[in-house]
Amino acid sequence: MSPTLLSIYVLMFPATVAGVLSFLLRAFFLEWRSAREDGRSMI
Amino acid sequence: MQTQTLGTPLILLLLVFFFGGTFLLSLSIGRSRENADSYMTAGNRVGFGISAASMTATWIWAASLYASATSGYTYGVSGPIHYGLWGALMILFIYPFGRRIRSIAPNAHTLAEILQARHGRSSQLILAGSNVLGSLLSLTSNFIAGGALISMLSPLSFSAGILMIGTGVLLYTLWSGVRASILTDFIQVCAMLGAVVIIVPAVFFAAGGPEIFVTGAVHLTPEQQSFFSSDAFFNQGAPYIAAVLAYAIGNQTIAQRLFAVREDKIKQTFITATVGYGTTVIGVGILGVLALYLGVEPLDGDTNNLIPQLATMYLGPLLLCVFFVMIIGSLASTADSDLAAMSSIVMTDIYGRNIAKNGEANPRLMLLIGRMTMIAATLIALYFASSKFNILELLVLVGAIWGALVFPVIASFYWERVTNRAFTVSVLAALMVFFPVRFGWIALEGGVALVTDIVSVIGVGVIAGLMIFGFLGRRAGIAAGFIASVGVLPFGIGFLHTYPILTASLLAYAVSMLLCVALSWRASERFDFAQISEKTGSFDEATPAT
Repeated sequence: MSPTLLSIYVLMFPATVAGVLSFLLRAFFLEWRSAREDGRSMI
Repeated sequence: MQTQTLGTPLILLLLVFFFGGTFLLSLSIGRSRENADSYMTAGNRVGFGISAASMTATWIWAASLYASATSGYTYGVSGPIHYGLWGALMILFIYPFGRRIRSIAPNAHTLAEILQARHGRSSQLILAGSNVLGSLLSLTSNFIAGGALISMLSPLSFSAGILMIGTGVLLYTLWSGVRASILTDFIQVCAMLGAVVIIVPAVFFAAGGPEIFVTGAVHLTPEQQSFFSSDAFFNQGAPYIAAVLAYAIGNQTIAQRLFAVREDKIKQTFITATVGYGTTVIGVGILGVLALYLGVEPLDGDTNNLIPQLATMYLGPLLLCVFFVMIIGSLASTADSDLAAMSSIVMTDIYGRNIAKNGEANPRLMLLIGRMTMIAATLIALYFASSKFNILELLVLVGAIWGALVFPVIASFYWERVTNRAFTVSVLAALMVFFPVRFGWIALEGGVALVTDIVSVIGVGVIAGLMIFGFLGRRAGIAAGFIASVGVLPFGIGFLHTYPILTASLLAYAVSMLLCVALSWRASERFDFAQISEKTGSFDEATPAT
């Protein structure tokens, strides 16, 4: 397999992890804001 | 190549920063009078963001990061996939079972508690005992990983390292139980995932970038260069599929998050955790592949040292600190989950449903028991960790033992005919077959090999059938199991017994299924699943959980 494809293989996972992390942060922020507006604890 | 270390003051500063921060975070949700049910289930109404983060953090532990890299180093480019992908898919495959469990027991605290409501005490204690053993070994393994990392990156001793990790985790989990565990998991998963995003590319480019694959190809065999390595599948992937499905079903740490999350958010939580776990563990595992291309020899011949080695070789002090926080985050998030799981099992399955008279469990005493359990478990795990047992092998063994439980547990949640006798006999018989094969007490040759191959083929069908059954129902599950067995039959006979670890797991699945079905088929009793909800209600009615 070519070095370019192997490099993509190496780097695609950190890139996807970055996507998952941003998704989780967004969901957390929305829940935090909603809990704050309702005056309740998140957990 | 010169290696970096962090030194004692910096390591201590990072530990104080990490555990001090998580402790302060846990204080923000602490109550002077905690609720016993919330201590175990966080009130059953945790939102998607925190739940998904917590599920991801719990499933990722230091050993999984190290093992994925070991798989990459051993089997080449496909190695991390055969570790991370199957582990991730198992989270997805247990999601339908999770929904079923929540629907029949919305207020349960542990899986073993549901089994008691379904079957009785013997089934409950089999599962609870294996859960406690598994969590204790997992806790020990995480302490060992932390101690080893601290002693590698600083002049501090291994013993000092495990003591600091044990104290730090206990400190923030003790008062609020799973509530603290789940909330701090969110911060820990952010640290872990953030570190993966930075560290994997940093090591890749520091080590030479794409050029590594040109100059280092000589270090790999053709099998290691292939994405379709049969060696990787049969030695890593296939046994792992069998073990990890059982691990996901039998693990109280996962069940606890299943009971904590809002019921309408279960699907999103499991899917996100699947992607989060898979990409993180495969991403870190690729460091092992890079080590292979670079011709790195593991320190002391121990492949668990590969990731720290690469970090010290290619990362500067700042990124080494990020790496340190990533590993501490991964082990702390699993260790606090193990503490919360063990405390819930002792609170519910030992005290609440057995020692206390029916309906008379004292929530105050229950909380005290839970906290005492956490302290005792930490002390025992520290003792085991200081002895440096090969805990990982033991833990993999426990996961494989859970293979004997998977079919009877799942069948008990769906099939009204499964009896306590069928459950107990099938599990014990499966274990009696599993151990001699797993440890080579009987030689797999001649007629014995033929029999084990035939039964193992059925075991393949059981695993495939269970996976499909969860999503598509009974008929599709049976059809998938049948097709899988028939498909494997031609090459499985005369072949599967050459992989005894895989064979032992497959036998456990097959024997437990055959006996459970045979003993339940003609049973006259029909269980009413509505009883489970009534028998697994809250302990702390005075201060409701939600």
